[in-house]
Amino acid sequence: MNYIIETKNLTKIYRSEGKIVKALDNVNLTVERGRIFGLLGPNGAGKTTLMMTLIGLVMPTSGSARVLGFDIIKNSVEIRKRVGVLPEGADFYDHLTAKQNLLYIAALNGINKAEREERVEKVLKIVGLEDAKDRKVGGFSRGMKQRLGIAQALLKDPELLMFDEPTAGLDPEAARTFKNLVLKLRDEGKTIVLSTHLLFEVGPLCDDIAIINRGRIVLHGGVKDLAEKFIAEEGYKIRVQGKGDIGRFANAILNLKDVRNVRVDREYILIEASKDVRAEVSRLASAHGVEIVALELTVPSIEDLFMKYYKWG
Amino acid sequence: MASVSVIASKEFSDIIRSKRFIILLSIFALLMIAAVASTYISATQGIAAPTAMPRGFLLSVASNLTSMMAYFAPILGIVLGVDAVSGEREKGTLKMVLAQPVFRDTFINGKFLGTVAAISLAVCIAFLVNVGGSIIALGITPTGDDAARLFLFLIISIIYAVAYYGIAILISTVSKKTTVSVIASIMIWAVFTFILPIIATMVVFSITPIRIQPGQNMTITPELREEIRRRITITETVNMFTPNYHFNRAANNILRAYIGAGFMPEGGATSGRPLQQAIRAVSIIESLAMVWPNILVIALIAVFTLIATYMLFVRQETR
Repeated sequence: MNYIIETKNLTKIYRSEGKIVKALDNVNLTVERGRIFGLLGPNGAGKTTLMMTLIGLVMPTSGSARVLGFDIIKNSVEIRKRVGVLPEGADFYDHLTAKQNLLYIAALNGINKAEREERVEKVLKIVGLEDAKDRKVGGFSRGMKQRLGIAQALLKDPELLMFDEPTAGLDPEAARTFKNLVLKLRDEGKTIVLSTHLLFEVGPLCDDIAIINRGRIVLHGGVKDLAEKFIAEEGYKIRVQGKGDIGRFANAILNLKDVRNVRVDREYILIEASKDVRAEVSRLASAHGVEIVALELTVPSIEDLFMKYYKWG
Repeated sequence: MASVSVIASKEFSDIIRSKRFIILLSIFALLMIAAVASTYISATQGIAAPTAMPRGFLLSVASNLTSMMAYFAPILGIVLGVDAVSGEREKGTLKMVLAQPVFRDTFINGKFLGTVAAISLAVCIAFLVNVGGSIIALGITPTGDDAARLFLFLIISIIYAVAYYGIAILISTVSKKTTVSVIASIMIWAVFTFILPIIATMVVFSITPIRIQPGQNMTITPELREEIRRRITITETVNMFTPNYHFNRAANNILRAYIGAGFMPEGGATSGRPLQQAIRAVSIIESLAMVWPNILVIALIAVFTLIATYMLFVRQETR
């Protein structure tokens, strides 16, 4: 398969003040085109180092990686020409206006003069900063700066976007707008890599995820596949809502062969089973005169996956 | 190459619009005007030079111009270099720029070019205020030789400011914090400007103590002449480690169209005998021949510090 990002045993060791820190430890990762990829992990896990390495700003100690087919060591500038990046901790020139900052970045990207103005106006509109374009960035809130950061990443209309902690500092409304933007970009065929420790914010957007801890990838794959793996390991969780004699119905479910546990919570019955027993539950409901209102398999969330696999790191 | 010019023009534009640059330039422009006034007063009140040099434009302005530039150029270089890298690193703007298709060397070269252009502009303005003001105040038009010497002085002043900029940006590149860079740069400037000359004087006094008693007539004897020569040699040897010494020597000699010395007559200054003098004109080529090693030292400081900054910066990583 033609991956947009592919790493092989990527390792980065920092030596600082006599200490050796393995920021990346044999990272093997693939990112498919046209997907939203979540790089998840706690602070200090190695997410930023991995992102900086992928765009050639940090040299790996060993291993290799290709981004858009370009080698990260030999062709880092070619990568940065084609990848829109919002690095964590990056900032703008306070004494310049939002528009001036973007025009400067457009110039650094070699966008010709005639086109710059138009592109800058376009991305400012996308992130909702068109009314603040002539204000100096020094007076911007953190959220506004973050939006401006997203705007600069979009300037070159890149095929691949990498956002490091993109929702940090955004208010709920701006975070929602950002999420919608990411989905829209994915629908336009772009690949988006989101690095974050805020699982609940961007986790649900992701098609694929990798969980990184202490420089090692502890889990990597499609969210659907991982959810199935999680269910296979942890069991199925089924939620039933019905009308009738719920107590007797719950006892009958508990007697089913593959059911491990049943919990009644008002009108809901929560079932833990080693296989999908929805068909059997439906049959039992008919037998016990219970009218089923809802019968659904609970899909594990990104948080569930993170909490289960992160502890292994 | 396009990116170098983009970064250089932004750097230049940022510097010349910055408050600190405008304030610094304004202060020194005012000081230059004060220096012009002092030159005017000296000329109109007929305050004589220590030796009876032929009076001309250069003799009138050289002293003030050199001493003003000796302070202005280093302060300018330090102010512009002290946070050039550490400031951008701390703020996060370095990360934003380097996340674009920009090589690290392109960034640092752009910074060098933009700042050197701004330094040149500032030195030219300070120079023009002084020289232009002096022309108006004294009513003397510089000769062609004067103009050539002034032009050389201007070039040396720019190189001198760039040398200090090189020292400051090198410190800024290795410093994690701008505050550290500021303190270290100011300390280096203070050592070169004040501390080493004091050390030189102390060394001279400890090696060759003054043997002339107060009230004693200063008679130029061969022993005294030898002692003075030794003292000068020791002072110069210690000061040779500072770019300031090389700038002062180069600037003073370039701006001096005549060389000579006035010696105390036998019996001392109160003897009533005339000053013994030996004065002759020197060509600009002769002046250059005298000071080219000093110019070379300043230029080498500028080149080495900028090369060291370049090497360090391109090897650093953006975390």
